[in-house]
Amino acid sequence: MRTFALALVLVVAATMVIGIAGLPPHGDPDGPVHTHVGARYLEQGVAETGLRNLVTAVLLVYRGFDTFLEVVVIFTALVAVLALPSATRQPPPPRGEGAAASRREADDAVPVSPVVFLVVRLLAPFIAVFALASLYRGHVTPGGGFQSAAIIGAMMIALGLVFGREHAARLVPHGAKAWLQALGPLVFAAVAFVGWRLTGAFLGFPADEAAYALREAMVVVLEVAIAVGGAVILAQLFMALDAPS
Amino acid sequence: MTLLGLDLDYVACIVLFCVGLYMLVAKSNLIKKVLGLNVMETAVFAFIVTSGMIDGGQEPIVVAGSAPPYTSPIPHAMVLTGIVVAVSVTAVALALIAQIHAHYGTIEVDELKELP
Repeated sequence: MRTFALALVLVVAATMVIGIAGLPPHGDPDGPVHTHVGARYLEQGVAETGLRNLVTAVLLVYRGFDTFLEVVVIFTALVAVLALPSATRQPPPPRGEGAAASRREADDAVPVSPVVFLVVRLLAPFIAVFALASLYRGHVTPGGGFQSAAIIGAMMIALGLVFGREHAARLVPHGAKAWLQALGPLVFAAVAFVGWRLTGAFLGFPADEAAYALREAMVVVLEVAIAVGGAVILAQLFMALDAPS
Repeated sequence: MTLLGLDLDYVACIVLFCVGLYMLVAKSNLIKKVLGLNVMETAVFAFIVTSGMIDGGQEPIVVAGSAPPYTSPIPHAMVLTGIVVAVSVTAVALALIAQIHAHYGTIEVDELKELP
């Protein structure tokens, strides 16, 4: 297996080296990535979308369908994980040495160190503020909905690791859990239909100057939905996989 | 910076990709295979983002005080999509591995092959 893997890696590496030898020079301002549609987005993006962060402009306006389906993909992943029977509730049958070893490890679970406990507890509010800042300042600094979702999700996972998942599960209100998990796709669909009513194009954004505030509101709603929905989905994915001790 | 006429940034991505590919193929532990897949994905994301860079460029955020050249925003947006798909694939793979562990008591491929 090792020999086969090494041979495969060498063949793939050789193919890719030949590939990059034919690429335009790295960082060249005349490269195709800077001269075709990318150049147009840089010139017209602010005027056409009203968004100063052009990554957000590409993500939500120019490639909005892509982002819509991306939100649906991660929601589908959560559905798939939750649809599996809870594997971790029944103990694995004794079979093979690996099984015995992994069960021993589970029995010897180390209690959380007080240092880790204190640091996570101390840092959690600051992490939450950082996530909100990344969302709120996302139009003028690097950041936005997905980044914010990753930060909040990581914070919830850290809290779940330290305090136990029953504790962390309380961060998501029980009654609203199903709605929050589906927040991304639902809000995206709603905004897409609003855009359809206004512009005649599914997920269209009104382009004229008069509708500036409305366009801004649509983008903000999308970003908040991505951040909250994404964070809840990330935390739920982790909770669903977490083995109870 | 170049090495034998090849750009070092791209070479680094290829090395990372090959490390991931080796893990994916050579390791028999399913968790390590998923880790290898993630290393490969990281290499691809790094490659795509790197390809959008420009010499002396700034991040593509048009505010007071920023000036061209800007790096291309398209690779960034594409990689953001890719990361979400990578997270989804990893989550579903780990959930399936947990199922395998619950049913067969092992996640080593060579042990799984010997099961009746």
